[in-house]
Amino acid sequence: MNTNTFIAGRGLLYWFDARAKLLTVLLFSVMVFFPSQVVMLAILMALIFIVAWRAVTFKQALKPLRTLLFILVVMALFIPLNRRDGVALLVIKSYVIITKEGLNQFLTLALRLLIVTYLCTLYIWTTPMADINLSFRWYGLSYKVALTITLAFRFIPFIGETFTMIRDSHSLRSAHGESEGEKFHIKDLVPTVTSALVFALKTIPHLATTLEHRGFGSGLKRSDYKVLEAKGGLFIHFLLSAIILLTTFVLLNSI
Amino acid sequence: MSDYFCLSDLSFSYKGYGKTEKLPPVLKDLSLRVKEGSRTLILGPPDSGKTTLARIACGLLPRYIEGYLTGKVLLKGEEIPASEPWLLADKLTYTAQNVQEQLLMTTCGDEVAFPLESLAIERQALIERVEESLNSWGLLKYKDVNPQELSGGERKRLLLAVTAAIDAPLWIMDEPFDDLDEQWRQELKKRLLEKKGTVIVFASRYIKEADSLFDNYYLLNDTRLSEESRATAFSKLQALDRGTALNIKMEKFHQNRELRCEQMVIGHERRSTDSTLPFTLKIDRFSLKTGEVVALVGPNGAGKSTFSRVLCGLKRPQQGSITLDGESIAASKRLAQVAYLFQNPDYGIFLSSVEQELGWSLRHSAVHSKQEQIASAAKLFDLNLDENPSMMSYGKRKQLQGAVYYILNRPFVIIDEVDSGITSGDASKMVALLKQRGSAVVVITHDRSFAKQVATRQYKIVDGQIIESEVGQ
Repeated sequence: MNTNTFIAGRGLLYWFDARAKLLTVLLFSVMVFFPSQVVMLAILMALIFIVAWRAVTFKQALKPLRTLLFILVVMALFIPLNRRDGVALLVIKSYVIITKEGLNQFLTLALRLLIVTYLCTLYIWTTPMADINLSFRWYGLSYKVALTITLAFRFIPFIGETFTMIRDSHSLRSAHGESEGEKFHIKDLVPTVTSALVFALKTIPHLATTLEHRGFGSGLKRSDYKVLEAKGGLFIHFLLSAIILLTTFVLLNSI
Repeated sequence: MSDYFCLSDLSFSYKGYGKTEKLPPVLKDLSLRVKEGSRTLILGPPDSGKTTLARIACGLLPRYIEGYLTGKVLLKGEEIPASEPWLLADKLTYTAQNVQEQLLMTTCGDEVAFPLESLAIERQALIERVEESLNSWGLLKYKDVNPQELSGGERKRLLLAVTAAIDAPLWIMDEPFDDLDEQWRQELKKRLLEKKGTVIVFASRYIKEADSLFDNYYLLNDTRLSEESRATAFSKLQALDRGTALNIKMEKFHQNRELRCEQMVIGHERRSTDSTLPFTLKIDRFSLKTGEVVALVGPNGAGKSTFSRVLCGLKRPQQGSITLDGESIAASKRLAQVAYLFQNPDYGIFLSSVEQELGWSLRHSAVHSKQEQIASAAKLFDLNLDENPSMMSYGKRKQLQGAVYYILNRPFVIIDEVDSGITSGDASKMVALLKQRGSAVVVITHDRSFAKQVATRQYKIVDGQIIESEVGQ
């Protein structure tokens, strides 16, 4: 009823302890909202993309960008139009379309969105779900809250996978000899999206029932199948976290 | 032996969606007494209420799925605490027919460990028990693999590994033999025989492996439960199996068409682990001619469903091509030629009535007799046009899936786990109905006797290769 977001791989991100990594992601995400130059955000984004590429594959690393593309296009269309004061960069028939400030604002917001998305995605791609759960608990969240958060992480991609299966099933049912070359209409997605949502909603009672049937909710103190082990000691990992954050801070404030 | 598990005057009706009134009763005045250490088989045709009864017996219904229950469910003389199902975690285990309902975690190891963690089993013992259970069901190598990356049969084994790990004194199993290949069916039979405890199994058809396995037999039909001898239970079930009396003459729509694939390689990686080898399947030669029924058999996880997805155009092979009537056919074109009935019927069913569901398939069709076709298909597949598919049993939903593709009338049809959740008669009937339209039918099954009964040729997956073999071998 849910899907793993973890992608097997090797490298620093996989070695990095889930607790230190979580802290780094959170503080990093806050830091990109400090006032900084667009060029520095762009450098940072490029570095993060290279790290993602190294951790998974190039094709996989492009996925968050593809997911955000629609939002980025909408931002590109509306933010510069909304901010027309300042140095004009594009003027059509005396109407200012893009100003330097508008473009700057769009790039800043777009890069911040991309950085935060990539950071969070990389965290769940490179950390097994059990470790994420254990990290939340290490920071003081109850098992119930940690499980709820991680179930949400898994359930949303599960809806995505269900959507794919249902789309496949619908494409088999909808296909007819002359279907090639037909125009795609947004309304064609309606039955598939509806089915995926209905399917997902129908699984919720089963999810709740199974959790309880497997003993979730009893007053017993749960034991742990897995424990977090920081290779080389937890201090080293938090030190690395501090170095990454400090370097980023310096980079963002260097111009 | 004392009564270990009892149902006393049990009646149940579901609550309709958005309604307060009761739907017609699914179960009425049922009573059942199960002795400690016994093995009981409850047989019933699809839609007879087996899954409902199994869930009630485990205290899982009514709860998040609403309904009206009267009567008592007693475990060792005490009424089961329906408001606190977690208290039963170490007392009874339920194995669902639809495996997806019970998979919670993101690795097989975590799945088995979850209930043991709830039972506060000490860590070292827990690790040993997880590994032992996974190993005993041939899944240790998949310990870190996401259950969603396993085949249907492997997922079923995972649920059985969870059941083995908890080792509760009472096992309630809904169609546990479904989706398992020959080896694992025998293994399950052995486990059930060795089980030091009580077992209640629900099944909708005769299972060879069940011979000499059970002490008591019951038949659930028309809301009632009756105790029967083994022979009577199976013969009554067979008599209820409407699918066996089939004698339909129909027009052959498809003739002399052939789908072939040669020198094909199919593969994919499991993204949750890099330690397990990626899945690969080689096909030197595979052919399918309209009008024939071909069985596709092989162990769980061998790639039967993956191969089917390639044949119907949902997945591209790494190497090789597919031809239709001697000419290469693109994946996008195959979608309209090769039907694939998914193992899980729910992926293909989404509307609120059988009539709408069947009608949706005909929306591109230019024929004028749509209503007649819909009514005829519903009749042939024993479906009620006004019924809501969500409220139908798993087996009935499979039949609806069959009716949908019957209406679509594709020249090639692949039915994944055709006999899972439905009677052999209904499965044979589905195959016969599709065949009599002239379609070529590929049946994916683990039941060799069923394969022998319906198929004229067979392909088998052995060591990552598809080869032609004798039917039923």
